[in-house]
Amino acid sequence: MKHENISSVLKSVTKPGRYIGGEYNSVIKDKATVKCRFALCFPDTYEIGMSNLGVRILYDVLNKDESIWCERFYAPWCDMKEKMEKYSIPLSSMESRDELLKFDLVGFSLQYELCYTTALAMLKLAQIPIWSRERSDDCPIIIGGGPCVYNSEPIADFFDLINVGEGEEVLLEISHLYIKMKEDNTYTRSAFLRAAADIEGVYIPSLYDVSYNSDGTIKEYKPKCDGLPSKIKKRIISDLDTVEYPEKLVMPYIETVHDRIVLEVYRGCIRGCRFCQAGMVYRPIREKSPETLCRAAKCLYENSGYEEISLISLSISDYSRLPELTDKLLEWTDDAHVSLSLPSLRIDSFSEELMKKVSSVRTGGLTFAPEAGTQRLRDVINKNVTEEDLTRAVGIAFRGGKSNVKLYFMNGLPTETFEDIEGIAALAKKVIDEYYKLPKNERPKNGVGVTVSVSCFVPKPFTPFQWEKQDSYELLIEKQEHLKNCITDKRIKYAYHDAKVSFIEAILARGDRRLAPAIALAVERGAIFDAWDEYFDYERWLDVFHTTGVDPNFYTTRGFGLDEVLPWDIIDCGVSKSFLLREREKAYKEQTTPSCAEQCNACGANKLGGKNRWCK
Amino acid sequence: MVQINGSNLNVRIKFTKTGALQYISHLDLVRTMHKVIVRAKLPLWYTEGFNPKPKMVFAAPLSIGTESRTEFMDLRITKYVPEKEIIEALNKNLTDEMRVIDAYYPETKLTDLKWLSYTILVKTAKPCDDTLAECCERALRSEIVEIEKKSKPGEAKKIVNIAPLIKSVNVAAVDNGLQISTCLSADQSSFLNPEYIISALKNQCGILNSCDLISEYYSIMREFAYRDDMSEFR
Repeated sequence: MKHENISSVLKSVTKPGRYIGGEYNSVIKDKATVKCRFALCFPDTYEIGMSNLGVRILYDVLNKDESIWCERFYAPWCDMKEKMEKYSIPLSSMESRDELLKFDLVGFSLQYELCYTTALAMLKLAQIPIWSRERSDDCPIIIGGGPCVYNSEPIADFFDLINVGEGEEVLLEISHLYIKMKEDNTYTRSAFLRAAADIEGVYIPSLYDVSYNSDGTIKEYKPKCDGLPSKIKKRIISDLDTVEYPEKLVMPYIETVHDRIVLEVYRGCIRGCRFCQAGMVYRPIREKSPETLCRAAKCLYENSGYEEISLISLSISDYSRLPELTDKLLEWTDDAHVSLSLPSLRIDSFSEELMKKVSSVRTGGLTFAPEAGTQRLRDVINKNVTEEDLTRAVGIAFRGGKSNVKLYFMNGLPTETFEDIEGIAALAKKVIDEYYKLPKNERPKNGVGVTVSVSCFVPKPFTPFQWEKQDSYELLIEKQEHLKNCITDKRIKYAYHDAKVSFIEAILARGDRRLAPAIALAVERGAIFDAWDEYFDYERWLDVFHTTGVDPNFYTTRGFGLDEVLPWDIIDCGVSKSFLLREREKAYKEQTTPSCAEQCNACGANKLGGKNRWCK
Repeated sequence: MVQINGSNLNVRIKFTKTGALQYISHLDLVRTMHKVIVRAKLPLWYTEGFNPKPKMVFAAPLSIGTESRTEFMDLRITKYVPEKEIIEALNKNLTDEMRVIDAYYPETKLTDLKWLSYTILVKTAKPCDDTLAECCERALRSEIVEIEKKSKPGEAKKIVNIAPLIKSVNVAAVDNGLQISTCLSADQSSFLNPEYIISALKNQCGILNSCDLISEYYSIMREFAYRDDMSEFR
């Protein structure tokens, strides 16, 4: 729907700039000359979707192919959605303004479990059946990708095709298969999906039957026909230096969450913290060279006009050539008034040198993630930082003029006791003490402030803790209250996440296909934007679980048996189950595991290959 | 050419903001322009201090929903660049709905801009005749044109007479609606937002009062800029 036809509607909603498209560097192609129309959908608002690097990379990769035109779709905010339903305004792309039904392939980027309802709400708005089995041959193929698909079972019945792993190559292969079958006249939904199942990294849920034991656990996944893999191996990009990376970015007119160049430095993480899914599923660790990165940074700066470059990775200080990279960038960034930002700095790598070089480190606030309050618990979760590391790091920060420090922790970690909770308050106090250790004239002028931010642990698939149970809602609340009582110093602010949200997140992260009717019912009842406080409705979730016969505790407080078939066993993310079991055992013995830089711990991911790796 | 301290120069950019771009706010425009001038590789002057920024000053901010053929931005650069080069460099980095139509080293100040003319097109659900047009014109030409001024939450609402801020107004009936040509005050201290003309018409002549957002709508286009003596502002 073109903007001229709906000007009154646009003038009546908040931030109409979200819906206009036509941005600088957005790609317009001639419909008549392309052979495949791909819709990249981000199931959240424009401002959030435009800040996601993965989607920006895929948009660029797909559009560089002459036979494909990739366009973007975002979720309309509730005020706009209401008007769209009232006036029958269809969900349109940012580029051609065509409806979703007109596209051949539709890909949803699933970044967090709470976006599932928004994704389905978008399909509904676009008049596409949400159940895979109800779609006709005229319907586009609905594809799911992103971090959540490591366990896509709860939404498996809504997606025709799941792209497991990195999409830069596999999405092109899927598109070319589609084009070929259309040209050959061999295309039907089922024929296409069967053929796509042969592409590495492609999971077709409808081609597998799931059966259950009498105790409710999964019995087995059975492929419906011959030749299908028993596990779907994730796809990785072998050489990050040669893979396509955008030189141009679509430049949003309105303010988005990340108004800066986001440069992905390497994939994976050497640390192996036991709660962290990303650190496991992005292995093997593969680095980009400083030459590739600097070239990309310069290009992106000239084509965008952004004045900040953010170096992104799971743990930027572990990049093996960080000083070389920052030095190379600083050769031109200071003169060009471009500041460098290094988020995700580990406590034990924070140094004076870093503070001097990196201007955002000079100007912004500082965040560190000890995750647990005592050394004992930090050893259990393999977060190998000590109290000395923390006090040293904040000492450097305070001497450098920073007065505010934010500390991230989690509640509900395995083996956690109330002593560990009290440790969080003690650590925060030690940070304050460190400030006062400085002579008066060296202290930053504004006094000291510490923010303690505590989230609730969700045991995620493909981590050593994937079998653990989540603390019950009541226990989490008790722990949150206990910590509140321990923090008496006025200079310490305490923020904690809503345990109700974490509970639902855990169910969706660890669930199986039997959750699908509940999710569908939630969407029917208006669930959307579940990741937003103002729209998350806990009672509605409890109610739909109850109505569809799901016991939420089966997935959260029960804990999974070590011999059980897990819903995500259908996926092979590289890291082996035996490695995860070994790590779990060490956790319970309070033993740490060194990083990949120090020794190889035989996680198994090296079998996937990859260049510029840490793997021996 | 007026030199500011040392070799720094002030260049004035005249540009349009039309079509879909009427839906981005003034702040969005400022942020966008910032990136455009960086992409255009103009020799920008940056402020000193902790957070250096280029110096850009805009005349008469636009509300969301108003298009414009005559926007002005003053930019401080560190050395002379030929006007044609500036226009070309900027337009290469813009999309169609925002075009730079002129660039020059001005003799005037932005605050010399005192009046702005607008064309407002109203599409009504029912056809309009000359009587309605005359009624609207009379209402807007009267000595008292009252509107409720937008106030912050918690503040009492203010009723203001905007008649002194309306230099001229003509209303004609056209196909499916009305065309209003009006010249309004653009002085910083007494700026009249053309949206208030719509409010006045809604209250006093009963147009645009239906709840149907598809069959009734209006568009506002800022056309020309004038100095206090009604000569062209440049």
